[in-house]
Amino acid sequence: MIKVEQVYKTYINKHRNFLFFSETRQTEAVCGVDLYVNPGEIVGLLGMNGAGKTTLIKMMSTLLSPTSGTITIDGMDVVKDALKVKSIVNMIAGGERMLYFRLTGRQNLEYFGNLYGLRGSLLKDRINYLLSKVGLEKAADTPVERYSKGMKQRLQIARGLINDPKYLFLDEPTLGLDVSVAKRLREFVQELVHREGKGIVLTSHYLEEIEELCDRVYIANNGRIIMHDTPKNLVFNITHGNVLNIVVPEINDKLNNNLRTLIELHNANIEISSNEEGILISIKSKKDITTEVVQTIYNSNVNLISLYIEKPKLEDAILQLENGVA
Amino acid sequence: MFLTIQATFRRNYLVMRHSLPYTSIIGSLLSGFYMILFSYLIYKIMFNGKLDDSFIKYTGSSDYITFAVLGSTVYILSISVLLIVSRSLISELRQGTLETIFLSPASRQGYFLGCMLQGLMLVGIEFIGILVMGFFFGLDITNINPISASITLVLIIFSFYSQALVLGAIMVWFRDTYITQNTLITLMGLISGVSFPIEYLPDWLQYLSKIMPLTFGLVAFRETIMLGGELVSSFESISYLIMLTTCYFLIGKYLLIKVEKNILEKITE
Ligand SMILES: Nc1ncnc2c1ncn2[C@@H]1O[C@H](COP(=O)(O)OP(=O)(O)OP(=O)(O)O)[C@@H](O)[C@H]1O
Ligand SMILES: [Mg+2]
Repeated sequence: MIKVEQVYKTYINKHRNFLFFSETRQTEAVCGVDLYVNPGEIVGLLGMNGAGKTTLIKMMSTLLSPTSGTITIDGMDVVKDALKVKSIVNMIAGGERMLYFRLTGRQNLEYFGNLYGLRGSLLKDRINYLLSKVGLEKAADTPVERYSKGMKQRLQIARGLINDPKYLFLDEPTLGLDVSVAKRLREFVQELVHREGKGIVLTSHYLEEIEELCDRVYIANNGRIIMHDTPKNLVFNITHGNVLNIVVPEINDKLNNNLRTLIELHNANIEISSNEEGILISIKSKKDITTEVVQTIYNSNVNLISLYIEKPKLEDAILQLENGVA
Repeated sequence: MFLTIQATFRRNYLVMRHSLPYTSIIGSLLSGFYMILFSYLIYKIMFNGKLDDSFIKYTGSSDYITFAVLGSTVYILSISVLLIVSRSLISELRQGTLETIFLSPASRQGYFLGCMLQGLMLVGIEFIGILVMGFFFGLDITNINPISASITLVLIIFSFYSQALVLGAIMVWFRDTYITQNTLITLMGLISGVSFPIEYLPDWLQYLSKIMPLTFGLVAFRETIMLGGELVSSFESISYLIMLTTCYFLIGKYLLIKVEKNILEKITE
């Protein structure tokens, strides 16, 4: 299990003003974060740019040391037992870095495999398996400099899995991938977690991705975790449930009165506007009251032109939350 | 560690095959040539081919040309080894691959050794090339003690390796590849007895020259080649060399750990 306890990270940068005069600037990127990740689970890390997600991931993957607080992975401290931790974790960041452009895809993987102490037929098999998983068999012996962006990103993913890590950190792994590749990656990630029992931390700005994949989500803002729940609960708690949209040709007094009563009863919100089809009634409520509303409309002798339910997405939740925080 | 050495060797070899660094080989050969030519001209024209007695007293030999050719060759060798090792991290940083190296549990020394050993493939060509040029100017190795010379050469290479670890750490710390390395290289060329014995230097510069492995390496190397000395006959300089190598190695190792933390904090996408 990954355990992050009261972790702080302050970056100290020297900023040179003029020749030798410099001032130090401190950035508190992470302030008192607690979180945990179990094997066999995908945990999402959400937040605006600069929220501290990458910093957290780099600390968990031993690249940075926390300024204070502790991070342990299966009981091993990421600072004191760094070498042991390194062999059971790996990190994949979006973008094209972290590869040798002059080497072929296969040579890259061979090198990184060697750095983890893998060799011989074991490594060879692992490389072939990963290359086929990310769909790079054909390009395996082409220098990486001739790869497209998506191909480089897929090779990154194979690199991140070369040591068969127990815990994997994915920092915006689908950045710049096309729809079908991103989808295959998501399936692969699910397979890694559900079949192989790996623990994964995922950051992404594509919220559907988080919603689809993650068992739990932490929302970070300015270096702090401001919320932690399942995607479903987050959506529900923040956005106050579904929106029911109904279009009717007219609203008579009876309907108006009946609707108001119903709304009050369920503590819902109602908005009335008109569109090209007729009058649009939008009802937002925590509980699903579709049946009751439809019943009321029939009872008031009004025709129903159309009805659709808008399920709120995680994106709506985040936007609302961020508006609230700001 | 062995696997890391081997893997890094292979990786750099593949990169080298991909684009052979002709310019750097030719550059080294040319610098060697100019240095030898320069010493030769000064010796022949300014000193009329005559040396004063102090040279013989300090070096035990009256063969200035061999002295200067060996000095230049080992000096060029030192530059190449220093640059290969010290630049390796900074070039990983620029390529964006530094984090992947540090993410892995691979041995850092294995990594640097792999870089150096692969680099020696080209450095070896340069070394032999410069020696061959030296013969045209009158290099004389008839007195050589081959075994001692080879062992000394290996010790010298490792001393440059250790020095390179320190240099590399400083370069990464200051994100600088030119000022630090050029200062060191120029200084080494002036005070380590490359083209004249260090005894000609003012006292305070002589003290400074004592922190350069090149100084002792050259004394020992020349001894084995020009005077056919056994290793024991250059015992003093060899032990100094080993001592300096150890010091640089420990300092370099310590600094690199510090630098590793610092550099990773400075990386921003
Ligand atoms: N190397 C660094 N030196 C100084 N400050 C840094 C460094 N890296 C990040 N920061 C600062 O720390 C804060 C958190 O940055 P971080 O990269 O962790 O955010 P993030 O959540 O990953 O953002 P994004 O969504 O843009 O990737 C930001 O204010 C950033 O400016
Ligand atoms: Mg980030």
